[in-house]
Amino acid sequence: MPKDRLAEVLERYEAVIGLEIHTEVTATNTKMFCGCPVAFGGEPNTRVCPVCLGMPGALPVPNEAAIEWTLLAGLATNCDIALWSQFHRKQYFYPDMPKDYQISQYDLPFASGGALEVEVDGEGVAQRIDFGGAVAAVGPEAHPEDGGYRATIGITRIHLEEDTGKMIHVGGSEGRIAGATHSLVDFNRAGTPLMELVSEPDIRTPEEARRFAQKLRSIWLALGVSDCSMEEGSMRVDGNVSIRPRGETELGTKSEVKNMNSFKALHDALAYEIVRQAELLDTGGRVVQETRHWDAGARRTSALRSKEEAHDYRYFPEPDMVPFRFEPAWIASLAEKLPELPDARRERYTTDFDLPKHDASMLSADFALACYFEDAVALAGVDRAKQIANWMLGELAALLNAEAIEIGDTRVTPAMLAEMVGLIEEGAISGKQAKEVFADMAATGDAPGAIVAARGMKQVSDTDAIESVVHGVLEANPNEVASYRAGKTGVMGFFVGAVMREMRGQGNPQVINEVLRRMLGG
Amino acid sequence: MLDLSALSAREVRDGIAAGEFSAREAAESAYARIEALDGDVHAFLQLTPELAFAAAERVDAARAAGEDPPPLAGVPVGIKDNMNLIGTRTTCGSRILGNYKSVYDCTAVRRLLDAGALPIGKCNMDEFAFGSSTENSAYGPTRNPWDLERVPGGSSGGSAASVAAGMVTLSLGSDTGGSIRQPGALTGTVGLKPTYGRVSRYGVVAFGSSLDQIGPFGTSVADVALALDAIAGADTMDATSSPEPVERYSAAVGLGVQGLRVGIVRDMPGVPDTDGCLNEIAHVVDRAAETFAALGAEVGDVTLPSARHGLAAYYIIGPAEASSNLARFDGIRYGVRAEDPTDVLDLYMRSRAEGFGPETIRRIMLGTYALSAGYYDAYYGQAQKARTRIIEDFRAAFEHYDVLLTPTTPEVAFRFGEKAADPYMMYLNDVYTIPVNLAGNCAVSVPAGLCSSTGMPMGLQLIGDYFAESTLLRAAAAYEQAVHFDPVPPLVRSLVGAKGGE
Repeated sequence: MPKDRLAEVLERYEAVIGLEIHTEVTATNTKMFCGCPVAFGGEPNTRVCPVCLGMPGALPVPNEAAIEWTLLAGLATNCDIALWSQFHRKQYFYPDMPKDYQISQYDLPFASGGALEVEVDGEGVAQRIDFGGAVAAVGPEAHPEDGGYRATIGITRIHLEEDTGKMIHVGGSEGRIAGATHSLVDFNRAGTPLMELVSEPDIRTPEEARRFAQKLRSIWLALGVSDCSMEEGSMRVDGNVSIRPRGETELGTKSEVKNMNSFKALHDALAYEIVRQAELLDTGGRVVQETRHWDAGARRTSALRSKEEAHDYRYFPEPDMVPFRFEPAWIASLAEKLPELPDARRERYTTDFDLPKHDASMLSADFALACYFEDAVALAGVDRAKQIANWMLGELAALLNAEAIEIGDTRVTPAMLAEMVGLIEEGAISGKQAKEVFADMAATGDAPGAIVAARGMKQVSDTDAIESVVHGVLEANPNEVASYRAGKTGVMGFFVGAVMREMRGQGNPQVINEVLRRMLGG
Repeated sequence: MLDLSALSAREVRDGIAAGEFSAREAAESAYARIEALDGDVHAFLQLTPELAFAAAERVDAARAAGEDPPPLAGVPVGIKDNMNLIGTRTTCGSRILGNYKSVYDCTAVRRLLDAGALPIGKCNMDEFAFGSSTENSAYGPTRNPWDLERVPGGSSGGSAASVAAGMVTLSLGSDTGGSIRQPGALTGTVGLKPTYGRVSRYGVVAFGSSLDQIGPFGTSVADVALALDAIAGADTMDATSSPEPVERYSAAVGLGVQGLRVGIVRDMPGVPDTDGCLNEIAHVVDRAAETFAALGAEVGDVTLPSARHGLAAYYIIGPAEASSNLARFDGIRYGVRAEDPTDVLDLYMRSRAEGFGPETIRRIMLGTYALSAGYYDAYYGQAQKARTRIIEDFRAAFEHYDVLLTPTTPEVAFRFGEKAADPYMMYLNDVYTIPVNLAGNCAVSVPAGLCSSTGMPMGLQLIGDYFAESTLLRAAAAYEQAVHFDPVPPLVRSLVGAKGGE
């Protein structure tokens, strides 16, 4: 799908998007209603007990830590915390759900009525055409500094529930149920605490959806509530999307898009779905309410179920637990535990560290990156923050990208990066040498000082030593000296290169330039 | 062989402590009784001699090593077959769990065994505890040791009959709407339903989670008090178990009722007189009032105006919770699975249709309907409101009284098949017991004598305030002492004699 196709469609239609974001509370270590460990993968059906297997007579006991994490998540997203709340049973039969009901929340979620502000800039701005007259309260607010804008996205609710097990369909193609001869169930995931956040349908473009999900992830990571791995499924985003002709106030028929395993997939699936719906309407067709599956390979959505089943979940209050009552004072004390959140951190990076807005945004949005950055700055000193940021967003980001690893997995520690930046600033190594040092650190995990020493890489800034090398080079190249003195100053590069070669790359380029200019001029 | 069936739990324990007999002999005595009687009574679905003799050996070894035997050392016990115990099948009286082996222990059972009790076997019950006669067991009914043509009550009919027949000294039942007290009344045994939350529900297969409570049967109030001592108390595995401190309930027995305030419930719902015993049963309460007055209690009348809505509310809330609790029996992970299913829906539907009996299917359908969209408010919502009113009634009553009195049941044990065709008539058997489950209070049924026209036992229900089991059992013991009920059914005496018992 060409990019301008979406922009073209969005000129005629307004998209209305709401997200449902499930996040596993991996911070708790144990499942929602039993003591089994929370972890990804593992030998199937080894992290199970009578409770999470739904054995006859077993009872759920709520994980108080998971509830606290959910309340913190609510506080961090500007939600109201319910003073009185309880679990309900949501009933439907499916083999991945041991009890054939899911303990979830219904009309009394732990948190509700929140909001997040997302910033859209760059190419994403082109997707939104309607912020001209919009008001600031809700909806986009013009943000002229970088051509971007801010939009406020409401959060309907955050509730807590238990995750299901995993089905593995055998005999069909690509593990799909169609054509499978039988199915296996792994209950290791069953009972993992799962926070479900439901957004208001305030999102108008795929880019806003992506920014919202990213923002949420960065907040969850700052809180430490989850590892938020979209690949491993600890953060799962579903999108509800409908379109309506511009100016129309009635909502169109929505489809629900599932199986987006990355932020890019979220963006692309929503974009695909908006265009698909527009093409249907443009050709006199109509949108059917259905669940659609994003196929990242084929880059398209397809209907998961041809007919939307009419579910009656028969919710009723979970009788195995007593309702929860929270004292306002206790909630206030919980709010005091909130760590610094990404927005506040970004502000601090621009004011305290003098970082450009872009750098500050990049480093503050990812909690692990931010921790790394602050560790390195603490060691290197505030005046070297910009250099640390440059290396992190340059070489380090490239390294993580190339090796497809997380920042916690690299051998280059904040201390090593700080030391390396120090060596550059002190003039001990050149920037060019530093790149070699960095590559070496990443490969071996050795400290920069050790690498510099082992490679004999010390930068030579001593004027006498450089003068003697320059003297030799000038003597060996009388013709070039003559051309320079005749006005062809372009040969300067040749001399610098020659001196540097003589010094095995260890000469301080600034000093070499200085000495050459002086001696050639003389 | 030594016959210890007439001994109380304390006498068994003390006999072992004194070296008069061994725990092994206590187990042998129980199995001899079962051998003699259970062909007729069918109180047990499964006998567990390996477990019982292993437990007996531990008791005997500890005593030989000079340890003081624990409170229930060597006491033979029966366990309702909806409670998990490793080494047993836990069938809930249902075909669908016919092959189900427990993978963990029910807390209450574990605590009973930790107190030295010997697990003799698993007792018959109405399927998933749905019923008042034990006729709904997939494995055939239990017969009443007072008259083999009559039901023992239910759903804990096997637990009640096993104690009434002297096969075991104590047994555990579960009570959701009267399933301990009603069979207690019908078999002439003492049946206690503790306060909701007093005993952990962990490991008892749930029927109505907000109503279920495990409790003991015995031939005396003192025995059920000893059993409660063992099983009561908070459990980290049950979020509805109460942190309320546990008392020594057995110490309350014998303290008398001087100054106790006893209220006679005067407005329990009217029921048809099916067996000509209704007046006599009503008279039980009046005589009990006289007894309490004579013992020094203050006696007065009390009303529970909303209790008449109890049965209707119960038959919404109970089935609603049951329909949800029984969803897990789907043939996927354990239990009986239909053969050659065409797909997962077919597997679910046929496993459940083949595995569940008719009363279970009726309750699942009732509950599913009551929770359905569009009906929830009219049924479940209304029932919860009625429940709140009943709770308020009891709360008000206990501001003035320590113990309330009603009959346990409106009739004595009925004949097999008599009510099987009319569920409502069957449900009416629990009309006096159900309001207590809705409110969550504790209550006990104590034998009140034999009905003159049938010769069958009648029961007095005593109801206590929340966590006031000590007061309740104190009153029950005083009444028991005044009534002088002989708990041994004449039939049992003659059967044991005829079959060469001692």
